[in-house]
Formats: sequence, C-alpha cells, structure tokens
Amino acid sequence: MLRSDRFLAYALILPVVAAVVAFVVGPTYNVATLSLTQVVMGMERGFGTLGNFQALAADPVFGLVLKNTAIWILGGTVLCVTVGLGVGAYLAIDSRMTGWLRALILLPWVLPDVVTAMAWKWMLHGQVGIIGQTLQQSGLTEGTVSFLGDPDMVMWVLVVVLIWRKMPLVALILCAAIRSVPDDQLEAARMDGANAVERFRFVTLPNIAFSLTAVTVISMIWITAEFALPWIMTGGGPANASQIMATYIYQQSFEFFNWGVASAMSVINLVMLASIVALYLYINRRSWASEGSK
Amino acid sequence: MSNSISRRRFLGTTAAVGAATFLPRHARAASGEISVWKFGGTPQEVEVWAQRNDAFAEAHPDIELNYSYFNGQIRRQKILAGFQTRRLADVIIAFGQDIPEFAGFGMIQPLDDIAGDRMAGWKDRIVPEVFDSGMHEGKLYALPTYVDMASFLAVNLDALEEAGFDRPPETWSELREYAKAMTKPDRPGIAFPATTAPVDINIFEGLAYANGGRIFDEETGKVTLNDPGVVDALQFYVDLISDGSTPAATSLTETFFRDTAQLFGQGRSAMWIGLSWLNTPWGVNEDVRWTGVPFPRPDAPTGSYEPVSAIMDGTAMLMVSSRAENPEAALDYVDFWSQDKQLEIWGGQPEIARIPAGKAAWDNPELAEAWPNWVKAYDAGTLFQGAAEMPRFIGVSAIESALGTAIQQAVLGQKSPQEALDEATAAAQGQIDLIRG
Repeated sequence: MLRSDRFLAYALILPVVAAVVAFVVGPTYNVATLSLTQVVMGMERGFGTLGNFQALAADPVFGLVLKNTAIWILGGTVLCVTVGLGVGAYLAIDSRMTGWLRALILLPWVLPDVVTAMAWKWMLHGQVGIIGQTLQQSGLTEGTVSFLGDPDMVMWVLVVVLIWRKMPLVALILCAAIRSVPDDQLEAARMDGANAVERFRFVTLPNIAFSLTAVTVISMIWITAEFALPWIMTGGGPANASQIMATYIYQQSFEFFNWGVASAMSVINLVMLASIVALYLYINRRSWASEGSK
Repeated sequence: MSNSISRRRFLGTTAAVGAATFLPRHARAASGEISVWKFGGTPQEVEVWAQRNDAFAEAHPDIELNYSYFNGQIRRQKILAGFQTRRLADVIIAFGQDIPEFAGFGMIQPLDDIAGDRMAGWKDRIVPEVFDSGMHEGKLYALPTYVDMASFLAVNLDALEEAGFDRPPETWSELREYAKAMTKPDRPGIAFPATTAPVDINIFEGLAYANGGRIFDEETGKVTLNDPGVVDALQFYVDLISDGSTPAATSLTETFFRDTAQLFGQGRSAMWIGLSWLNTPWGVNEDVRWTGVPFPRPDAPTGSYEPVSAIMDGTAMLMVSSRAENPEAALDYVDFWSQDKQLEIWGGQPEIARIPAGKAAWDNPELAEAWPNWVKAYDAGTLFQGAAEMPRFIGVSAIESALGTAIQQAVLGQKSPQEALDEATAAAQGQIDLIRG
C-alpha cells in the first residue's frame, strides 16, 4: 500500500473513530470514573473510593435486582430467540398467509415503548383489565388474576410482554436467513432420507448460525437496555419483585440523585453483559468464524 | 480645556445612576424569551393553564413565552437533566416536596431575594398557611397555586345506608366495622392504592402522620419508618385486608390511585382512600351517590410525634431556576399566576379538586357548592388547624421508596408491618447517610 493510500484510509475512518470515542469511549470512561467517586446531589465527595461498590454489596435489594436481571436478560433472550426462530421458520414457508404475516408481525415493533407499556399495563390489570376479565368470564379462573401485582408472577409476565415486543424483528431476520439456505443442500438431505427435523437441525441451523449468533447478541443488548416497559408497567414492584438493573439505576440516579452508586451499577451491568456476550461468542466461535469468512 | 464638574451636576448624575440601579426591578418592563416547564395536573388544569398562558402573552407582548407540559412522574429526571446540560427552564412548576432537594442542588433560587415588592402582593393574595408551603429554611422558594391534603375517604352513600349507617366513619375502628358491613361478594367495602407511585405513598403517610408517626427526624438525621405511629398505620392496612374488606392483596399492589378511583366511581368499591382531590372528575357514574370526608382518626394515636390533622403539599408551585437567563420576565410570569384571576381557577372556576391558595377563590359559590364543609372550615379558621407539610427534606425519595416497598411487603403478607418497616428503616438509613454525607 502506498503511503498516500494509507493516509487516505486513516482519513476516511477518522470520522467513525471520532464518533466512537465521543459517544462510546467518552461516556464509558465518565461512568467508570464516576463509579469510583462519591457523587451525591451533583457534589463530588472524593475520587478513588470503592464506597459505591461496597454500598451495593450491603444493599439488601441489590441481590434481588441481580436475580431479576438474570431472568430478564437470559430468560428474555432465550425465549425471544427460540420463539423468533420458530416463527421465522414458519414465515419462511411460501404462502399467501405468510406473505401477509411478514408485514403484520412488525406491528408490535413499530409501536412506541410507552404506548406498548401503558396498553399492556391496562390489559393485564386484575380488576379493570380485559385479559383478567375475559379469563374470569370464560370460567378459566375463579377470581381476578393480578398479573402485575403478584410477586411470583410479575417477572415472567414482563418477559412475555418483552417477547411480544422484541420477537418480531428477530423472527424476520431469521426468516430471511432461513430463506437464503441453498435449496440444493436441502434437496440433497431430503434425497438422503433426512426428515424435516433433521433437515432443520443439520442443514438449516448450520447455515443460519451466523445470523442466529448475531441476533442473539443484539437481542441480549436490546433487552439489557430496555427500561420503559418494566418501569411503566410495574415501577419495579411489587416489593421490588420486578426491580432490574435498568430500573434500579434509574431510581438511584434520578430519584435518589445518587450518581456514584448508579454508575457503579452501570459498570457491573457492562461487565456482566460483556462477559455473557464474550462467552456466547466463544462457544459459537466456529460457526461465527466460518460464516463470517464467507 | 477644563474637565471640572459642578457640584450640582455631580449630584444630579449620581442620583440618576442610583435611581436606575436601585429602583424596584420590576418597574422596568421585562422583555425577551422565557421558558416554562409545568409538570403534572388534572386534565382540566392542564387545559386551563395553557389558556391562561395566552392571556399572559397578550398582557406581556414583549415577552416570548415558551411553555411545555410534562407528566408529573418524570419531573425529577427532566429537571435534573436540564440542570446538568444547562438547559433548565426559567420557570419550573413542580411539587412542594421537591423544594429542599432542588434548593440543596442549587437548581432554584429564593424568590424573596429577587421578587422585590411583589412579595407584599403575594402575601396579601395568598392564604398564609398555603403560602408557607412554598417556604424552605425561612425563604420563599416557590409560589403555590393550591395544595392537596392527605388523607380523605370517599364513601358510597347507598352502600352506607344499605349497611345501616347514617354517617361516615370517624375512627379507625369504626372504619374497619363499616368496611366489613359494606362488603358484598362482588364489591369490596374499601379499596386503597398500594403501588410504588409517590401519590399512593403520600396517601399512606397521611394515615401515619395522623397516628403520630414520621418517616424522618431532621434533628437527629434518623429514619423513623419503624416508629409505632407508622407501624400501626401499616397494621391498619393489613387489618382491613385480613378482615376481607378489600380487593385481593395482589390487586392492591397493582392498583394505583387513579384505578382505585375508577373502581369506586363504577360502584365496584364502597369506599376508597385518597387525597383531597377526591372530588375531581374521576369518571364517577351518575347513579353513584357519594361524599368525601376527612379520613377517620386513629382511636388512640400511638406514634412518638404530635399527631397531625392532615398533611399537605402543592403540586403546581412556581419556582425560578437559579440559571434563569431572564429572571425579570420569569418573575412577571410568577406574579401573573399570583393574581386572583388565575388563582380562582381552583375556586371552582373550573377546577374543584384542590384546596385553593388564593384568598379570593374561597368566596366563589362554585367551591361552596362542591365542598361546603371545606368552605365552612376555612371561614371558621379551622381548615388548616393541626395540618403539617408532606414529608420534604433532602433524601425524601429514598425513604419514600423504602416505605413503598415495606407497604407492599406487608400488604402481600410477605412480612409483618414491624419486620417490613424495620428493614425499610435500615435500607433507607443507608441511602440517607450516603446522600446527606
């Protein structure tokens, strides 16, 4: 490569590098330093302390927050991708019905978060909600069911709403990947006597591994960042039963003005997410690498 | 050429400069742009507020008003973000409970430092007890337009008569008895909100403070959530549930104040606990005959502090940002909202859901018709007797959040009120120590 070409290459990537530094590295550095600083009500009370992390370790709510966050991120991602894969496989079939469904399925995705959360909150309300009333009137339940008021149920109900919201795009991405699987490979497997499940397991899945890995990682990040749905629907309640990292960080920052602790939680959140994504990419490194190098 | 100056000319020039400097600042007509953020309010208030803004714009053609309305629940986030990014509005219309934190943060400035002789007019037009709700550490930080009081009880009169009672309950033990008697298989005797929404927590605080409880002791810096006054108030909630007089406990923890109002308005609950805005149009069915009364008193208060008759707070208090770029215009806006014509909005023209701040508003027949007992009490000078401010101090949100969790734990039967509040006290004390340093 000529020296002038090298300069041109650096010049061309400079805006992207600058944007990453400004919008990713800068804020991350800022949060990391804040996590090591006692900052309350906008006043700095000393840098170089682990006090925020110690406060979290002593906080009885934080353990519950970690458990709920695990259900939210892992449960949400696994179910979102699994259901998305099933729906994507169905949508990949050519028919008039699937043609319509491919367009309609995006509706939950295009609705604003706040509208979605408010609508579900109302529908799921035990006494004034349409779902509880329908269940009761049809005799499926004896009394009202408080989906969002029952601490044993609330986290999983939130996950169901999350899947309803996030799954459509996952399904469409995987549908596109499935439709791009070479017909000759599927035909060859069929001629060799493979049934539908075997063709999916041994032909389709390896071919869509790259997309599947990518969509899983993206879903995990989306779900980690999701705040409006749980906050509007439950506010972290009842009794912190649906308090997750995103809502607790918000509460510490904007309700208690406790930015040091909120930043410490953000750092823990970032490390956890990066670890899970790294582990997932490591486990799937073969399919990732082979597809990526195509 | 001589540069000498005559004595007369010197004195004249000095007097002119002095007059320009020391004349009351509002004597100069304000001009320029002001931004105003209003948070929360009933639908009617939001509509009327915008209409009156038009009147302000007409009366102040040199001031360009930039008015924005936001949901009350996001005010802290919005104001904090605005402050940090140096884009805070000149005038903030928020809650009285916010004042200590906003003042402590340096977000708002004392009005008496900048208002000049406007203060006299404000004091003249506003009910003293309500005016005081804008004070913090001896200075006026916010101009109130009304206050809400906690706690009140709405009673379905048909259900009351059907159960054989001729007057609403007056004590906690009477309320338990009434609620049991008014309960039917398809209609609970009483409903109360128990979500983590701040208003739901304020409603409970009304009971706890009336029982001599407090959530924080400013003098000692100690969280007092496990004071007997608070514990017994929470036990009262639990007793109502165990009596079978309420909807299912899990339903209470997902039902916030507006949903509870809706249930009552549809005749699906015989009584409900709320604030003084019981009378706002919550969609009460026309065939539901009802009345609103102050919440029954504890039989024998058990708290360590003086029992109060009610706690009160304004949720549309005008504050001037410490970074206001145009404080003169901001003060003109605040002064506009201190005028009788504006304050009469809450005297039943058209809003009847609040306790008005304006003295003149109390003379309105609409208010007397909607709330005859309030007007009688105001005229007799007893309306605010024994009333206190809603909890307000730096760190109030952290304690109220812990209290909200404790209420839900007790309501759901996960913990006894004492256990739940002991834990909440410990958790909140940790937060408070961190926040207050």
